[in-house]
Amino acid sequence: MTKVLVPTVCPYCGAGCGFFVAVERERAVGIEYMPDHPVGEGALCSKGNASLEILHHQERLTSPLKRKGDGWAKITWDEAIGLVARGIGEAIRDYGPDSVAVLASSKCTNEENYLIQKLARLLSTPHIDNCARLCHAPSVVGLNRTLGAAGMTNPIPDIANSRCIFIIGSNLAENHPVISRWVHRAKDAGAVVIVADPRETHTSWMADIFLQLTPGTDVALLNGIAHQIIEEGLIDRGYIAERTRGFEEFEGSIREFNPERAAEITGVPADDIIRAARAYASSPASTILYSMGITQHTTGTDNVQAVSNLALITGHLGRPGTGVMPLRGQNNVQGACDMGALAEFYPGYRRADDPGTIEHFSAAWSAPALPTGPGLTAAEMIGAAASGDIRAMYIVGEDPANSDPSSLSVKRALEGLDFLVVQDIFMTATAQAADVVLPAAVWAEKEGSFTNTERRVQWSFKAVEPPGSALPDLEIICMVARSLGLDFDYPDAASVLAEINMTVPQYAGITRERLGKEGSLVWPCPSPDHPGTPILHSSGFRLADGRASIVPVPYRPAAEGRSPEYPFLLTTGRVALHHNAGSMTRRSPSLIGRVPDLFAEINPADAEKLGIGDGDLVTVSTERGEAQAAARLTEGMKRGVVFMPFHFPGTNILTSEAADPEARIPEFKVCACRVARRD
Amino acid sequence: MAVHVDIDRCIGCRSCEVACQRVHGGSCHVRVHFVGGIASVPIFCHHCEEASCIIACSFGALFKEGDRTAFDVEKCTGCGLCSLACPFGIVWTDKIAEKCDLCDGRPEPTCVATCPADALSADGEAAPRGGQVRAGRSASSGGTR
Amino acid sequence: MIEVDPGLCIGCRSCSNVCPSQNILRTDSGEARRILWKRCREECDLCVEFCPAKALTLVPIDESVPEPELSFDLVACRICGSRYATEPMLSRIEAALPSDSRRDPEGAEWIRACPPCRRRAEAERAAEETVAARRRRRG
Repeated sequence: MTKVLVPTVCPYCGAGCGFFVAVERERAVGIEYMPDHPVGEGALCSKGNASLEILHHQERLTSPLKRKGDGWAKITWDEAIGLVARGIGEAIRDYGPDSVAVLASSKCTNEENYLIQKLARLLSTPHIDNCARLCHAPSVVGLNRTLGAAGMTNPIPDIANSRCIFIIGSNLAENHPVISRWVHRAKDAGAVVIVADPRETHTSWMADIFLQLTPGTDVALLNGIAHQIIEEGLIDRGYIAERTRGFEEFEGSIREFNPERAAEITGVPADDIIRAARAYASSPASTILYSMGITQHTTGTDNVQAVSNLALITGHLGRPGTGVMPLRGQNNVQGACDMGALAEFYPGYRRADDPGTIEHFSAAWSAPALPTGPGLTAAEMIGAAASGDIRAMYIVGEDPANSDPSSLSVKRALEGLDFLVVQDIFMTATAQAADVVLPAAVWAEKEGSFTNTERRVQWSFKAVEPPGSALPDLEIICMVARSLGLDFDYPDAASVLAEINMTVPQYAGITRERLGKEGSLVWPCPSPDHPGTPILHSSGFRLADGRASIVPVPYRPAAEGRSPEYPFLLTTGRVALHHNAGSMTRRSPSLIGRVPDLFAEINPADAEKLGIGDGDLVTVSTERGEAQAAARLTEGMKRGVVFMPFHFPGTNILTSEAADPEARIPEFKVCACRVARRD
Repeated sequence: MAVHVDIDRCIGCRSCEVACQRVHGGSCHVRVHFVGGIASVPIFCHHCEEASCIIACSFGALFKEGDRTAFDVEKCTGCGLCSLACPFGIVWTDKIAEKCDLCDGRPEPTCVATCPADALSADGEAAPRGGQVRAGRSASSGGTR
Repeated sequence: MIEVDPGLCIGCRSCSNVCPSQNILRTDSGEARRILWKRCREECDLCVEFCPAKALTLVPIDESVPEPELSFDLVACRICGSRYATEPMLSRIEAALPSDSRRDPEGAEWIRACPPCRRRAEAERAAEETVAARRRRRG
């Protein structure tokens, strides 16, 4: 029997590793590695190795479903699409188009995300967003403001060229494991690694300098480092003069922020802050890698800007081995944002409140009445659903009932909608609240392009057919759009990419043909003969006068602090064997078998006072609810702090809805909790 | 021949376990162990020169094939002696014995190919860096077991 | 039917595994392993052939002879206490191995530890330098 090897892009994290799906008799029978892949060099983490387990999974959705009493009835596509058209159509008729909200999916292709946001906007609702809101919205807001572009400035393999790697709020060893190989390569050449995190993580094992800060004190740490750099004259004066503005004001704003003051707030010894400042500022090429430990705060945008300030005052941008590197979580969260599936941006980061944007897309799409934004963000949509301002929602491949904070109230809000349609691969907690569920294809059952965290656009090919009557998201979106009277005539992903080439300047030269020939291209790629731009900002910034902004960032504490009733800080994160809300990994036998249950990490000294032993069942409670978990006692946990992974439904029952005032990201990384042994 | 691990590079992601399980029909021949909350070590079959699993087997199901400790499933009775004779606890017996075959028939062991952190290598490869140790390192001097 | 020499049987899993008729029942319960050789009328001697201890013989059926049954205490791991092997199996391995390889570098009898504890001990030995270096960097 002939075996065909089909090149695909891993459906899990934003690293974008490639691998071949081996297909025999129309079934995926194995994985073959891709040694010449630029990011992974053939490597795959545990999730990548387990990815085929969801392809032929018995719990896959295989037919459209409608709610029937307490259960579900299988229906035809015709009936399902009819119900969707009626549900959304009635909300528009009775309450106006802005009573409808759409959630796009950072798991879907660029082409699908482009169509979802176009569908929303052609229906005249500004309420389109995706779960980037829950991970890197502050990077989009903050970096667009300071550097003029939101994305990793340098490619992943370029980390090997760095001589100082500052990792803050990222457990990349577990969440983007292949990035570790590039960190190791830099270390082999003598690079110093600094890790800042409230907990000892697999990433901090690599650290030469470990800064164990209190959750929510990142601005204080970063300002303290910046103060020391300026104090010791380690700034790059030429770079500041030629490429930036705002330095004097920034310098004034942190004059009092010496390492001793930073130490007081963060709990990190002042000596370590000084060592980190010297290492970062004095190396010939330093990079900062960060992730949700920076962004998921009420001060998320501030944190991002404080990171960007460090790079700007030292000139560690625009060259190999330097950079500001937001590591993105989902396989296509970068692409979903690029495609404009965001409340405040149309495709290509054109501001939704700019009349020029509306004019541009009105012409491009021949649509006279496009909505001006910003629309409601992902979390705000849920609030508006609860208040009755949003009456109908179309949710594609996202699971807010598990992934949003204070998830019990999210479920109530979704259940209260007049009409909810959910398009997914499994019956998620969100789908459980739907009126109609549409069965979708997974990555290897369709084709299209994905953009990884380093802005690399790759084409992923179809290996097998979807199960039952499940369909690629692109086909479903087109059916829904046509049923609502829109002219969506896209036979395939390539035809959508051709439109993207016309309307998204960063993607103008990233054609289907080139992706086939050249393998991958890194945006911005403004023309068909442009080679792509692996390193941003090498010759100035795409901002007024070509200069980047250094902005003062005052320290503000997190929304919730410890109290007598809730004496611990709860922080959340991920583990290597699971991904995000867990709808895939909790169904993947080789992953769930290894990490089967929710756990809570706690320092042994704290545990002893509470009479908690390793492995004991505990109840963790916050003002919003409680969850059960198995206690894991670890010296690596900071005293007074508790960590829980958010792959299991319990965790986000606890987390806080308090959000960053600009980027509207919820503060998943800090809330006040109490812990008690369950007897 | 054996799989070597650079412990300074291991990030405890357990990709080697999942990959091994994937290509061996659901059975996994490597175990990652965590030490002191600050390091992880995948324990592999050492393919010992004088392998005690071979000494323990009465039926010749385990034998040397070149520098590999090979296994003939047809000859195994599942008695369990090899599992008890392995100093590293890395041979299992369920119905029959299960152990690392270095991914016989593949260009290199799957765990080596998949390791995200570039922490694993197989014998005979040019060592790209110093400080490599034999898989879990042999317990006694010289790695003769 | 099968005759068992209790002085030779080591309580391994061979005969119960190879018997095509499931006539040999092995049960591990807590601290002991019991093996019951049911009266067998098959023209088959796989269990005899594959007994590593040569403890089994095929003999003519005799209804007056009770079905042979043996019980073995399971040995507790010297580290974690879990029961993991019969004493005759461990003794047989000890006797077969060269004397210089019966102890690990710390001088402990690794054979008297269960396989997971052997792996843990090996991991701790292997990671010793790495752990020390990382702890030094933490101060």
